[in-house]
Amino acid sequence: MWAIIKKEVKTYFLSPIGYVFIGIFLLAFSISFNLELGYSNGIIDFQNIFVYIFTYLPTILVFAFLIPMITMRSFSEERRNGTEQLLLTSPVSITKIVVAKFISALVMVLIALLFTGIFIGIICFFGTPDIPAALVTLLGFTLLCMAYVAFGIFASSLTENQIIAAMISIVTFVITWVLPEFIASGSNFSLINMFYKFTTGQIDIAYTLTYLAFTVLCLILTITVMQRRKSAR
Amino acid sequence: MIEVKNVTKKYGNFTAVDNISFDVKDGEIIGLLGPNGAGKSTTMNMITGFIEATEGNIVVNGYDISKKPGKAKKQIGYMPEGVPSYQELTTKEFVKYMAELKMVDRKTRKEEIENVIKQTGLEEVQNKLIKNLSRGYKQRVSMAGALVGNPDVLILDEPTVGLDPKQILEIRNLIRALGKKHTVILSSHILSEVSQVCERVVIINKGKIVAIDTPENLEIKTQNKNVIYVTVEGKNEKMLSIKNKVKDIQELEYIKDNEDGTKQYKIVSDEKIDLRKTLFDILPKEDITIFELKKAEVSLEDAFMKLIDDRQESTNREQENIDEKQEKNKKKDVGTKLISNTAEQDQISPGENSEKKELEDNQKEIDKEKGGKE
Repeated sequence: MWAIIKKEVKTYFLSPIGYVFIGIFLLAFSISFNLELGYSNGIIDFQNIFVYIFTYLPTILVFAFLIPMITMRSFSEERRNGTEQLLLTSPVSITKIVVAKFISALVMVLIALLFTGIFIGIICFFGTPDIPAALVTLLGFTLLCMAYVAFGIFASSLTENQIIAAMISIVTFVITWVLPEFIASGSNFSLINMFYKFTTGQIDIAYTLTYLAFTVLCLILTITVMQRRKSAR
Repeated sequence: MIEVKNVTKKYGNFTAVDNISFDVKDGEIIGLLGPNGAGKSTTMNMITGFIEATEGNIVVNGYDISKKPGKAKKQIGYMPEGVPSYQELTTKEFVKYMAELKMVDRKTRKEEIENVIKQTGLEEVQNKLIKNLSRGYKQRVSMAGALVGNPDVLILDEPTVGLDPKQILEIRNLIRALGKKHTVILSSHILSEVSQVCERVVIINKGKIVAIDTPENLEIKTQNKNVIYVTVEGKNEKMLSIKNKVKDIQELEYIKDNEDGTKQYKIVSDEKIDLRKTLFDILPKEDITIFELKKAEVSLEDAFMKLIDDRQESTNREQENIDEKQEKNKKKDVGTKLISNTAEQDQISPGENSEKKELEDNQKEIDKEKGGKE
């Protein structure tokens, strides 16, 4: 399993995808940061600014569109190139393969999030941020990403076309995102709404479990798809 | 040891592999032979656990592939058709990744990787990206991926496709060498390859096993007539009358005129009767000079064609061709008639002439084909 994770992460950086992913994310994050500074009319709320950045639309939106970029290839590309034959005839079990693919995409997200530490550094230089709140926000964001990465991996296992895999992820994201606007009960399906709770600095156990359950569900679905394909191939 | 027992693979209503059974002994090289779409790759994919059989079971070194996939897969090195590999990795990285996937012991891994690279002759390109390699090298990289970890069983799907003659020879020698220590299953539609490399051949057609035997036995089995080719001086036509003089000749057929003025004939007799001696005795007496006399060997190719026997299919195809041509002719006939009707008194134009000629040619072709068939 470790071998797959190592190779996957390495492959992200052998192609431009890894760099583009981190680059665009940090760019969006910086824009949000800048907007927040301008918005506050000279009185900068150093305590909460880091948390605010995450609630800004560009950050969330860009991230939502970027994650499919790293998950779309995970199974689709192997399928298209025929390398899945090598992977699936190796002694590594399908469960381990799926988990390894999930972890390697998540590692990319964590690397990108690690860079946001720079912003904490900058804020620390000018004031005193609320570090615990910042960490809780990061945790919430990581959970959101986990759920989203797992869904992206699932989408990738459905098709050999990377673009279609990405479209499935994006469309699903957009639907769950705008659903609360139309249906009141839709907010229960909105992964983003759950995340906002974390930005208040509270760790919500129910939401944490929801994220984790959603992640596990997506991974189980992926494993099922891969196993089913064995007899349908 | 690989046991394939009553294995069937269905896709909806289509049966790709139909109730096949065979086993491969330790250290044996076995060849899966069959036309395209016969089910060779499907069979291999089932043995490697890439796809699941609809019915039946496959046991590799005592491990059932569907019940203990991890252990069974550990016994197998697989080189899939079309030699897929990770293009963005270098040769060495790829082999290393395959070694890690196969859980090769960390202590011996480095040595193992180096050995395999050496064995497959990839030292020169070990630090090159796979996407920049030529087809022959890619093939070898894929082979290295299958070999690493020293698996007991090697499954090679069309290992020599797309290679140049020298590379084919090298790969064949490599397979032969590997066969001393490993159990090898290879698929091919090249008959000579199978007869040279494999100890036993499994002939598959339309998902069914047609024959399992050694290449030699297959040749003998399918040989039920004794065929002799004889080349004689072509000055007289006495040769055809020989048939009446030697009662064992079942068939005597004129084949061709050679450039040097000699003529070749084909003589068919019963399987048990060798006419060579008789011919040597009798022909000079009849004032026929023998230039050449040879017994036709039934090759694996003949055996294969006989076993596969898709004569019916090819006949149908031929018939279709003929029908198509006749259809075309009819259309042209109508066209020509129209033209001649409108310009009844006129001389035949050159265009029409050539069209008529084409029609005639077409007709001749059809006749020829029909004649050939008969």
